[in-house]
Amino acid sequence: MGAIQRFDCLKALSRLAGDALVVSSAGAVTLEWNAARSSDGNFRVRTLGLCSSIALGVALGLPERKIIALDGDGSLLMNLSSLATLARMKPKNLVHIVFDNEVYEASGKKKTATGAGADLVGLARAAGIQNALWAGSIEEFAQAVERALNGAALTFIGVKVGTERAAVPPYPIDEVENKYRFIRYVEKTEQMVILSANLPASYE
Amino acid sequence: MNSTEAAQSIVAGLRDAGINLVATLPDINLAELLRAVEEERDFIHVPLCREEEGIGICAGAYLVGKKCAAIMQNGGFFNSNNAIVSTLLQYQIPLLLMIYFAGDVGDRTFGSTGSMTEPVLQALGIRYYIMRDSEDAPELIRRAQVLTEDCRRPVALLLTKEVLGRRAALRSL
Repeated sequence: MGAIQRFDCLKALSRLAGDALVVSSAGAVTLEWNAARSSDGNFRVRTLGLCSSIALGVALGLPERKIIALDGDGSLLMNLSSLATLARMKPKNLVHIVFDNEVYEASGKKKTATGAGADLVGLARAAGIQNALWAGSIEEFAQAVERALNGAALTFIGVKVGTERAAVPPYPIDEVENKYRFIRYVEKTEQMVILSANLPASYE
Repeated sequence: MNSTEAAQSIVAGLRDAGINLVATLPDINLAELLRAVEEERDFIHVPLCREEEGIGICAGAYLVGKKCAAIMQNGGFFNSNNAIVSTLLQYQIPLLLMIYFAGDVGDRTFGSTGSMTEPVLQALGIRYYIMRDSEDAPELIRRAQVLTEDCRRPVALLLTKEVLGRRAALRSL
């Protein structure tokens, strides 16, 4: 049996995610997720490490909406303190998924600390996230995601994956367009106004 | 104003500016302000472990309609620089940065941090205002929030001991 492929996990996730807002980490996971579920409800992170924090902000701001973070081992290792902050804030609507391939995949495939034994699920638990588990197969992964999306507790799901990348198209939009499309998507699906402009001074 | 009144004045300014999510990391000079932030029921308060997290949290909350402020020391502002550049500036996301000005003139701690604060803000193209008057604080906060929203870039307010009610103001500063 070969290693679990991240793209297979993402395809399974796309069948379960519904209209959840998805924040995905800097790296190939974003391109693969865009291929699996193209949506204006996807937000691509460019700062390595910041995925978990941006997802926490989205989750705190929209507590009734399901939010999924798609993180990587290199990214999370750079922002381990975010696990303690997540545990402290306990957003019930957030599912934090980490694809752990044990390398800095986009940076020359150098080994990360998880390749030397660091256990991200153990770290998440020790930080205070009680629902933290490893998924050992696509089926286990899908079951864990389904439970988390149907439940009401902050959940951390780790899955060890291979280092292969799927053949997927480039990300179709730049950062500023991603921001506006995401905001407009939230406005439309939540029936709220986020961005508004003032009348020119001559109207006052 | 004493430090408790000064803290209440700043929190009133944040509230009037429409701020409803505040991410913080303590400094002894921010103690009264953070206590007042914690007690303000209109705020979602997010205590941070490291300031850069706060930039991400505030950026995420902005995307779904929150108005955010991040309160930290200038050392924490330095900790946050990658996120400020590659998230806030790259995506054109506004944020009110409330930065305690350690190493300000006459402040015995962190002189080098104080020396580099304004040059780094200038290098990043972040407009900033040094707050020294507690009575002006609410109006300056409201104006800074208008500026950050309109230019879709972070704006910094440097919190001095004077505006925090921890030493007397000088007329020439």
